[in-house]
Amino acid sequence: MNVNLARRARFTALYLSLITLAVIFSGPLGWLILTSLKAPNELSVFPIQLFPATPQWHNYLDALTFIDFLGYARNSLILATISSVLTTISSAWMAYGFARLSAPGKKFWFGLLISTMMMPGIITLIPTYLMFAKLGFVDTYIPWILWGLCGAAFMVFLFRQFFAGIPKELEEAAILDGCGHVRIFWKIFIPQSGPILAACMVLTFTASWGDFIAPSLLLSDDTTTLAVAMTAGYVNEKGFPVQNLLAAGSTMFILPVLLMFLFFQRFFVQGFSTSGLK
Amino acid sequence: MTATLHASRETPPAVPARPRRRRGRAGQRTRTFYLFVGPWIAGFVLLTLFPLGYAFWMSLTNTDGLSPNWSYVGFDNYLRVFQDTQTIESLGRTGIFMLATVPTGVAAGLVMAVMLNRDFRGRTLFRALFYLPAVVPGVAAALTFKIIFDRNAGAANALVGAAGGEPISWLADPYTRFVLILMILWGVGGSMIISLAALQDVPRELLEAARVDGAGPVYSFFKITLPILSPIIFFQVVTGVIGSLQVFVPSLLLAPVNGPAAVTAVPEGNYLFMVHVYAEYFAKSHFGYASALLWVLFLFVLLITGVVFKIGSKAVFYGGVDPTEGKEG
Repeated sequence: MNVNLARRARFTALYLSLITLAVIFSGPLGWLILTSLKAPNELSVFPIQLFPATPQWHNYLDALTFIDFLGYARNSLILATISSVLTTISSAWMAYGFARLSAPGKKFWFGLLISTMMMPGIITLIPTYLMFAKLGFVDTYIPWILWGLCGAAFMVFLFRQFFAGIPKELEEAAILDGCGHVRIFWKIFIPQSGPILAACMVLTFTASWGDFIAPSLLLSDDTTTLAVAMTAGYVNEKGFPVQNLLAAGSTMFILPVLLMFLFFQRFFVQGFSTSGLK
Repeated sequence: MTATLHASRETPPAVPARPRRRRGRAGQRTRTFYLFVGPWIAGFVLLTLFPLGYAFWMSLTNTDGLSPNWSYVGFDNYLRVFQDTQTIESLGRTGIFMLATVPTGVAAGLVMAVMLNRDFRGRTLFRALFYLPAVVPGVAAALTFKIIFDRNAGAANALVGAAGGEPISWLADPYTRFVLILMILWGVGGSMIISLAALQDVPRELLEAARVDGAGPVYSFFKITLPILSPIIFFQVVTGVIGSLQVFVPSLLLAPVNGPAAVTAVPEGNYLFMVHVYAEYFAKSHFGYASALLWVLFLFVLLITGVVFKIGSKAVFYGGVDPTEGKEG
């Protein structure tokens, strides 16, 4: 009886702390949504109001036209698609080499791959930008195509770990039948990699969708992404942020990422557990 | 200096990028390997090695990136790094920022993971709620925090007002550093997910055996769970340290001015090392000096990585990798 009571108390304490944490963690997005529904005069009253008197749903429509929201969203979509499709395929391609083929120098290159995962991308980004500027790649999507074609070290590693777990019997039979490695890759490995392909796509897509620094360095006002346009676009004539529209725009900017996350949550978790395989 | 630079640009890497033409199956195998891995090597040379070399070359000059009148200055830029008070101060600030975010972040992530690592109703919901902020793009997180800590309409001052206080300018010194730290800690769910995945490696039988032997949950946590998790904790601390050295986009986005001028408006409290580098490049056009700063950072990260690999091979095994890359960009 006593033990049971203690257990119950522990459980209640656990629930209470989890609920407190949940409130803290969802608070910021909650406030964002509340702000997005307020009327302009509700943003300058004192004391500050928590809830809008009547939710101003039209703020969302206004946010779409205050800046060329859909145009920028289209730019983001194109860029994120280029980047995620190319990075995923090229990373898988390279990982196949590391997982299934051997050659002199393989150990060296794999060691290098692992050490570049630790390397902050920001160190190379600025010189790379200056280099691209000299080559005339500014204001084009060429940099993203190049980055995509060259894969991402972490994703190569992820795929390699996954490929290492695929049994060798299938490809051995294929090799006996005279099938080359390129065909084995496309016909055997890719079809078996559904979850990891999805994880890689989602992770690179969301990273590109949210990226601020590369597009702000490389693209101009018309070609830039939503992430960049969001930060500077929602200001009035005096240069002050239009908070309610900014909040509405931000909500719509986050939404695709959250939906992808909820929809592909399974793949996220699978991606993480695979990365731990030896 | 020119000689070393050209050497690094033109000599092929130590290991042949292109396989030597050999006959037979071994040669064929080598060619196939490089057919697959080649693109990564090309990318490494063109998009990592070459930019690094380019930055190193700039660091030895006084170039501003535009003017054709530049000259070699040797290692002057590197000597300046240690005399520039702005650099020293920004490094100090980055250190404090690191201490404020990394240990707390890893510890909070671990505690949350332990809380969620059991079966109860609503577990998935809580996990999703805690992890969601970590998937919110950095730009949106910064905009959200700017709105929350807005002087006139923000939630923070609504609370201050309800408590009877005067409105606070959260986004200015000396408060803005706390906003930055809170914003980074909001994404602690990333760390939680890694720890949660690692907790699956703790054998249930071991915990069960300890419980049968009369060990309490706190005792088992410190004596069983924590040692098993030590590699992943160590790894998170290392990636956290390297990550916090790179933080500058959140500082820019929390600045009161938007757009390209933001870097000149970053309050002192958020003027971290990379903000300084960025300002030297794009606000002051000191390309040479800024490149030297970048190289100092690079060598420092290399040093950390080297030490980590050394310790890692001795004391810790690599159970996993950090999947939360580049949120700070």
